[in-house]
Amino acid sequence: MNKLSRFIREVSCALLFSFALILLPATKAKAAERQISGQVLSAEDKAPLPGVTIIVKGNNSVGTATDTEGKFKLTVPDEATLILSYIGYTSQEIVVGNQSELTIELAPDQKQLSEVVVIGYGTQKKGDVTSSVASIKREDFIKGTVRDAAQLVQGKVAGLRITTPSGSPTSNTQINLRGINSINGTSDPLILIDGIPGGLNTVAPEDIESVDVLKDGSAAAIYGTRATGGVILITTRKNRGTSKSTIEYSNYVNVQTIASRPQLLTGDDYRQKIKEGIDYTDYGGNTDWLSEIMQKPVSHNHNLTFFGGNSTTNFTGSVNYRNWEGIFLRSGQSRFTGRADLNHSMFNHKLKTNLQLINRITSTNGAVSPADNDAAYGYIYRQAMIRNPTDRVKTETGAWQERDGYFYENPVSRIYESNYAAKFKEMRMSGSIDYAPINDLNFKLLVSNVQNSTLDGGSTTFNHTNTRLSNQNATAFRSTNADNQNLLEFTGNYAKSFGKHRFTLLGGYSWQDATYEEFSASNWDFPTDSYDWNNLGAGGALQKGQAAMASSKNKWQLAGFFGRLTYSFNEKYLFMASVRREGSSRFGVNNQWGTFPAASVGWRLSKEKFMEGLTGVSEIKLRAGFGVTGTIANSPYLSQISYNFDRNEGAFIGGKWVPGFVPARNFNPNLRWEKKEEVNAGIDFGFMKNRISGSVDFYSRKVKDLLYDFPVPVPPYLTNIMQINAGTMKNQGLEVLLNLVPVQTANLQWNSGFTYSTNRNKLVSLSNDQFEAANDFFDAGYTGEPIQVSTHRVKVGEPIGRFFVWKSVGVDEKGAWLIENKDGEVIPIANATPEDRQYYGNGIPKHILGWNNSVRFKSFDLAVNMRGAFGYDILNFQSMFYNNPRNKAYNMLKTAYDPIDGKVLNTDLVYVSNYIENGNYWKIDNVTLGYTLPVNLVKGMKNARIFVSGLNLITLTKYSGVDPEGVVMTGFAPGSDQRDKYPTTRTFTAGLSVTF
Amino acid sequence: MKNKNIKHTVLATLLLAGATFYSCTDLKEEVYSEVLASNYQPTEKDLPAIVAPVYSSLRSLMLGWQGYFDLQEEAADAIITPVRPNGWDDGGTYRRMHQHTWTSLQWQPENAWQSSFRSITTANRVLSQISDGDIPLTTGKEQIEAELRAVRAFAYYLLLDNHGNVPIVTDFKDVNLPKQSTRKEVYDFVVKELLEVMPNLSENASTTYGQMNRWGAKALLAKIYLNAEVYTGTPQWENAIAQADEVIKSGKYMLDANYSDVFTWTNFNSKEIIFAIPYDEIYGTGNQIHMKTLDPLSRTVYPMNAGPWGGNCAVPQFIDTYDAEDSRLADTWIMGPQKNATTGAVVITYNKSVPSMEKTSSTDGFRIGKYKIKPNATGSLDNDFPFLRYADVLMIKAEALLRTGKAAEAATIVSDVRKRAFKTNAAKATVTAADLAKGSRYNYGYQAVDGSVTERQGGDDIKFGRMLDELGWEFAAEAHRRQDLIRFGVYEKKKWFNHRPQAAQRALFPIPQAELDKNTNLKQNPGY
Repeated sequence: MNKLSRFIREVSCALLFSFALILLPATKAKAAERQISGQVLSAEDKAPLPGVTIIVKGNNSVGTATDTEGKFKLTVPDEATLILSYIGYTSQEIVVGNQSELTIELAPDQKQLSEVVVIGYGTQKKGDVTSSVASIKREDFIKGTVRDAAQLVQGKVAGLRITTPSGSPTSNTQINLRGINSINGTSDPLILIDGIPGGLNTVAPEDIESVDVLKDGSAAAIYGTRATGGVILITTRKNRGTSKSTIEYSNYVNVQTIASRPQLLTGDDYRQKIKEGIDYTDYGGNTDWLSEIMQKPVSHNHNLTFFGGNSTTNFTGSVNYRNWEGIFLRSGQSRFTGRADLNHSMFNHKLKTNLQLINRITSTNGAVSPADNDAAYGYIYRQAMIRNPTDRVKTETGAWQERDGYFYENPVSRIYESNYAAKFKEMRMSGSIDYAPINDLNFKLLVSNVQNSTLDGGSTTFNHTNTRLSNQNATAFRSTNADNQNLLEFTGNYAKSFGKHRFTLLGGYSWQDATYEEFSASNWDFPTDSYDWNNLGAGGALQKGQAAMASSKNKWQLAGFFGRLTYSFNEKYLFMASVRREGSSRFGVNNQWGTFPAASVGWRLSKEKFMEGLTGVSEIKLRAGFGVTGTIANSPYLSQISYNFDRNEGAFIGGKWVPGFVPARNFNPNLRWEKKEEVNAGIDFGFMKNRISGSVDFYSRKVKDLLYDFPVPVPPYLTNIMQINAGTMKNQGLEVLLNLVPVQTANLQWNSGFTYSTNRNKLVSLSNDQFEAANDFFDAGYTGEPIQVSTHRVKVGEPIGRFFVWKSVGVDEKGAWLIENKDGEVIPIANATPEDRQYYGNGIPKHILGWNNSVRFKSFDLAVNMRGAFGYDILNFQSMFYNNPRNKAYNMLKTAYDPIDGKVLNTDLVYVSNYIENGNYWKIDNVTLGYTLPVNLVKGMKNARIFVSGLNLITLTKYSGVDPEGVVMTGFAPGSDQRDKYPTTRTFTAGLSVTF
Repeated sequence: MKNKNIKHTVLATLLLAGATFYSCTDLKEEVYSEVLASNYQPTEKDLPAIVAPVYSSLRSLMLGWQGYFDLQEEAADAIITPVRPNGWDDGGTYRRMHQHTWTSLQWQPENAWQSSFRSITTANRVLSQISDGDIPLTTGKEQIEAELRAVRAFAYYLLLDNHGNVPIVTDFKDVNLPKQSTRKEVYDFVVKELLEVMPNLSENASTTYGQMNRWGAKALLAKIYLNAEVYTGTPQWENAIAQADEVIKSGKYMLDANYSDVFTWTNFNSKEIIFAIPYDEIYGTGNQIHMKTLDPLSRTVYPMNAGPWGGNCAVPQFIDTYDAEDSRLADTWIMGPQKNATTGAVVITYNKSVPSMEKTSSTDGFRIGKYKIKPNATGSLDNDFPFLRYADVLMIKAEALLRTGKAAEAATIVSDVRKRAFKTNAAKATVTAADLAKGSRYNYGYQAVDGSVTERQGGDDIKFGRMLDELGWEFAAEAHRRQDLIRFGVYEKKKWFNHRPQAAQRALFPIPQAELDKNTNLKQNPGY
């Protein structure tokens, strides 16, 4: 049905793996060419395969495809290697040698079925998997400028939502799997890098081989108490072949612009308004304050990876350097990541050892703390938004033009008169011994130590507003912290097949401990501002007791025992059961240990006899699973009866100031795990030799014993809140993944993938046996001053994410809001009471869609990644604060004077539903166009590709703020598009990669 | 041989694993940055630190953000927080305070409730620890216990005045949800406690500054008796006089020579202060009166090391009641042009007029200047907040005398208090019995945007209105006004600025909704 083709599907994939097998010099002196011919058959039934793509390795321009009888003819150079690929079959490389007539058999790929999926403490063939696990391989990653590991798989895993809420070069993506699952704990997934806990930045994106996501409880339960938010297993690139000697270099350069620039009143607009009788101050100038604080950032990234060794001793090394600038002046960050992975095996591969070192250094030299970029630049951004556009940046003497005003500071001076240097260093060492005393049995001992530390310094000069407003005469601080984590895991694995039975048995023990220490000191009132933070003692404030100094230390331990049994009969009926028993030092003695079981079953319908006739069906598998996971308390000491000496609780006693000796909290020795129970049912399918494939999953999760800061009366309790296990939360959802290969012809291949997910969330209760909440809701979110009210309310029996607000229905003749009161009557806002607030909209999208396309045409490759979210609302802070012309002391959006109901707004800033907008969007996010260079361009070069890429290119939305995706989506105030923020950006990238 | 090797290796591995199992299931939490109760035995030298939290919550209670000060002043007729150009509406919370349209969700009453009960719970906890012997006291146990009970009574007095019907809890170990008591029961409890502990309280006025001593307890009791009719329906004028007299006769306190001395940043030296909430810019932060009242432009005037926020100011009708020669006007309010401390240039001019609650300019309204701002003041003043001072005791006695037909005696005391305010015109200091029988000078009525008073009610009909005026002038911006307005029957009847009378039940604040939700034994106050 297919025409012969000269190009193979996924060249990059083939190149990557084939180099491991073949060690031929890529080019030699121009050799003689000759003609060969042959036939390609299916290894299964020996039937001829038409449309198989055949190319000569190292030269994409030489190739053909088999005809209807599976035959081909091709002119090849001497010592050529052919690469054969065909959808539904495993790609194969054939060394031609001196043959001229070949018969080649291709084995059915069952692409997904033989694909290996990383699961907890091991791997499993995709066909055997009975849980909801997503696996994304390197060749399917998002390409171009990628922020961190999560962005590699953005939009590719149904149910895993990944967004970029901030344009800051120092911030990460925001990830969430299957809804909000904790109140006080975290909903973040557990991230393991080669089995060792880490983060999205632990290794460079270029250094990642695959990302596997354990989505449902039955898959994640083997990780017990850390797995409620799901588990993301990152596997680094390794020298897996028998031998391979390769060097790869890649780089890219990018430029960024603000995603959408707010249109503010200009100096000329001010003067026009003054003519109209509006009370603005005209300082005579025309300053575009946003331009004054922004730069044109150029960022670059370099990556070098090399593989070497032989089948018993080999290594992988990589060095990654990345230097990113942000759109705001003096914001940026550089990262260096180095990794060495050494493998050695002995005794005929019975003993395998591995040593891995990852060292990374993140350096920031700029105006503000990298951890605080969003807040600090957010405030500067606010100052640029509100500053009088007729004012000037500097006076004629060259000093900053400052004005006295309420939170009104020259934004440019805040950038230039503040300095910050931060260094984060991490050294990860891990080693493992894998010993197989007999066939089918192996033991593995994995130990790792991860040490990281930060050293930060910050200062402000004499010209900073700290000195102008607070007479601080230069400020400086220094802070440092150190974290030391140890992990020991011992596992035993037994796998046995007899007849049609196959089973594996895993048992293991895990120990983790972590010690965290920190110290900080600040000072001000310096004789000079030239010290920065390098001579803290020279300041005067610490000695006077005004500046702060602090230190703390804590430690936690986590121990677990786990086991897993898998069984399959005739590869048709699949079963898995696991259990983990885990204990944490963070809970009271009575409740330290918890048990987290899981079980799942699968039925490969397509293997049944009655399906045999259905040739179009490649795979149908039904799955169902159940699993329990936990969530740990997120701070130490919660179950302890302890006190603190606290200066804030001090008083003037006996003629002098003494600190107060106060209980640290309401004591609750009964604290225990949050427990999530999840049922997952799904189907995996593949049709037409897997040209259509995918899966559908339905899940229902219930989180019980939620850790919650329960409001308690004082007395009898010591403080107003007490952390207890109360409350239940429910998440239900549907996830669909559909992969298509719509076109596969000689020159053109188009792969298309859809993801869809929907989640329904409900807070079921906020009580337990001991504590009955009369108050069946809690408020979340905050507008900030000068509005100062909460934005969301979470109520028992209702979904999370709803706004709680005065519902505006119009504007009266005086320009004041009219709102709907609790009895449904329309009243002026002046008469509104807090009781009139009502639920309005929801900040969590109902539908999340992704559509990823990759097209290969000859040597060109094109990727287009799109995604969208639907059925939700965003609270537009920008509009709430800057779309109101009342306060003439601050600048505002041009649209502030647009009439609403025919009247220009003449009322104070207020939180009303008018600012809650429909957030629906469809984003053409990443478009990457690549070209693979002819291979004999440079001697010794095996592969070379150049590309250009655009990120966050086009957003189709009615939302009027900067970026409908640039909002917080986790926590209990989702859909808040904050006033102070580091706006998201649009990125244009160009890069190249070469392999030798 | 080969097999044996394998066995050895397996054995070794298992042994190794076994060893780690054994050592690595120890989940005892090691505590570094907190003091574990089980490891800590306090000694007598820790006593001040143990007692301190009983007082520390009073700092945020009194002058904290939307604290007791705002609760007493913004509900009354002298101070308002109108919307400023920077948009400080805060969801209408200040407007609701002024117009008495608050609900059980209003934060200011909730704040007062929670801070008061924090002191009460801490007092109960420490009392329980003392009686259990957890805190070893060899001497002075009675005095410490008396002091803790007196502070607890003080906190209950605040609740009695603001919320009325609150639960009385004295047993720290009782973990049942507390039962609500009536206002009368709370009154009886506070009076009983103060009378009981009085003999054991320290008589030393100088070593107990900032703490509850015998005279503080007596002055407090006098104040409670003065308001007894409001609390219980039964006046206690004679008892108020008796308690006031004891303080007067003790000779421990006197009026400071200058009115402003009572409120300076060194007012811990004042001879007049009986019970203060001490503040310190380093050790006891939280006096933010200057930050809330001053416009940002005022920063360079003192100069200050902090940029103020610009908010509350005087009600023009209240300013109009002052005698032009009363020095307390200038000692209490910041008025007119404000000059840069170094250049002398005028940076802002505060005018008396305030157009409305909804819209003002930054120059509208006189600002609170009673608590003198020291040069280079930070966001937190050193000035202590005088809750009970000698002038209080004198005026309590004067009012009680006036109300029991001894107007002449009352007039003498009032005149004595006025003396230091009329140094330029001593004759004006004298007040006669006839004066005190007059109504108030306050031109009650609704203020229009142009400053004119519409819907005029005046103050002539207020019984002993002149006494109310005297209290106003002496105690302006000291968180007295709401209580005084209630006692003189003004609070529920008169209009001032943008306020019109609401239901009489507004004299008590609602039980906070958050507390009703937490404790099902609580019933809302009538009228809410």
